Amino acid sequence: MQVGTQRDRQAFERVFRRFAPLIKGFHHSRSTQALNSETADELVQEVMLKVWHKAPSFDRGKASASTWIYSIMRNCRIDMLRRNQRHRHRDGDIDVADIWDETLESQPLLFLQQKRNERDIADGLRALPAEQSHILEKAYMEGKSHSEISEELRLPLGTVKSRVRLAMKKLQARFVR
Amino acid sequence: MIRHHPDKNLLLEYASGSLARGPSLVMAAHVQMCPDCRSQYHTLNSLGGALLSQSPAQPLQANAFECLMTRIDQIPDKNGRQVKSDSDASQATKKDPAFDNLPRVLCKLLAKNPAHSWKNVSRALQVCRVRTGQGDYEVSFHRLRSGAKLPEHDHRGQEFAVVLNGSFSDHYGIYGAGDFVFRGPGQIHRPIATQDKDCLCFSAVAAPVAITGISGLLLNPLIPFRPG
Repeated sequence: MQVGTQRDRQAFERVFRRFAPLIKGFHHSRSTQALNSETADELVQEVMLKVWHKAPSFDRGKASASTWIYSIMRNCRIDMLRRNQRHRHRDGDIDVADIWDETLESQPLLFLQQKRNERDIADGLRALPAEQSHILEKAYMEGKSHSEISEELRLPLGTVKSRVRLAMKKLQARFVR
Repeated sequence: MIRHHPDKNLLLEYASGSLARGPSLVMAAHVQMCPDCRSQYHTLNSLGGALLSQSPAQPLQANAFECLMTRIDQIPDKNGRQVKSDSDASQATKKDPAFDNLPRVLCKLLAKNPAHSWKNVSRALQVCRVRTGQGDYEVSFHRLRSGAKLPEHDHRGQEFAVVLNGSFSDHYGIYGAGDFVFRGPGQIHRPIATQDKDCLCFSAVAAPVAITGISGLLLNPLIPFRPG
C-alpha cells in the first residue's frame, strides 16, 4: 500500500473513500444501529487516523486491507466504549492492541494460506442461511456476546452457540480441502 | 504440545470484540502461545473483514476526509518513532524461571503492573492479583508448588485460565504450558501440580471459587474477591 511507504495522500484518499462509508455502515445502517450516526462518524475518524499511522506495517501479501482494517476498527471500538466506563484505572492499563493483536502473521506458510482463505470466507458468508449470518452480524457488528444474543433473540444459549459453530464449519469447509 | 483449546464460540467472541477484557487477556495469552488458535483467530478476523466489505456503505459528513487530514497535519507523524521494545516484566519476576517465555501480552501487563504482592494462600499455593482496569473479573497469577494438591473446589462463576509453565492435572485431564482451561459452575475439580516443577497459571474469574465439603462452610465466606 503506497500509503505506508510513500505517505501518499492520494492513495490514502482512495482507501478512505472506499472504507470509511463501510466502517460507518458496519455500525450504523438500516439493519444495524450498533452506534448512532454521530458516534459512528467519530469512530470512522479514529479508525482512519490509525490506518494512516499504521499503514507502514501493512503488507497486502499477508492479508487483505479489509481484514487489517477490521482488526483496527474492532480495537478502536473497544477503546471508545471503554472510555465511557467507570472502571478505568490508568495504571495497569495496557494498550488494546496488546490484547487484541492486529499485526499480521509472519510465517509465510501460514499467511499465504490465510490470504487464500479470505476469498472463500467472503463467498461463504454470502451463502450462509440468514439465521446463521444474522447471529454473526450481531456478534461482530453489535459486539454482542452469545448470551446477550440469546436474550435478545429469545433463543436458548445452546442454539446460538450451535448456529455459530455450524456457520464456522460451513465457512471453513470451503478451504479445508 | 498444546492439547486444550478454547472452543470456537469463545474464539469468535474474542475476535469480534464481544468478550470482556478479563477473559480476553487470558485468550490473548493462549492465542499467542498456540499456533492453531492463532490461525483460527486470523480466520475470524478475515470473517470480520468480509462483514466489513459487505456492509452497506453509508454517507459520511461532507468534509470528513478533509477534517481527518487537518487532524493528521496537526499531530506529528508516528511513522518514524521507535516502538519501545519488550524489555518488560518486573525485576522481581525476571529471575524467576516460572516466568520464562511468557506470552507478549503478559510481559506488557507485568511491565505496567509488577507482580510483587504475592500472597501465600497455603504452603502449596501463592496468588498475585494484577490490576487490569476493569470491574468484572478478578485477574491473577497462581503459583502451585511442585506436587501441590489444592482442595477440591467448585466455581461460583466462570473461570478462564492458561497454564504458563509447569503442569497440573485434575480429573478432566492434564494441563501443560499453553493449555487453556475453562471451568464453569458445577465443574468441581481438585488440581494437583506435577512434581517436576512449580506450575504457574494466569486466570480471570467472575466469582470466587467455593471449596467443597465441611471445610468449605468455614472457609468460603473468607475467600476474598477483588475484581479489577
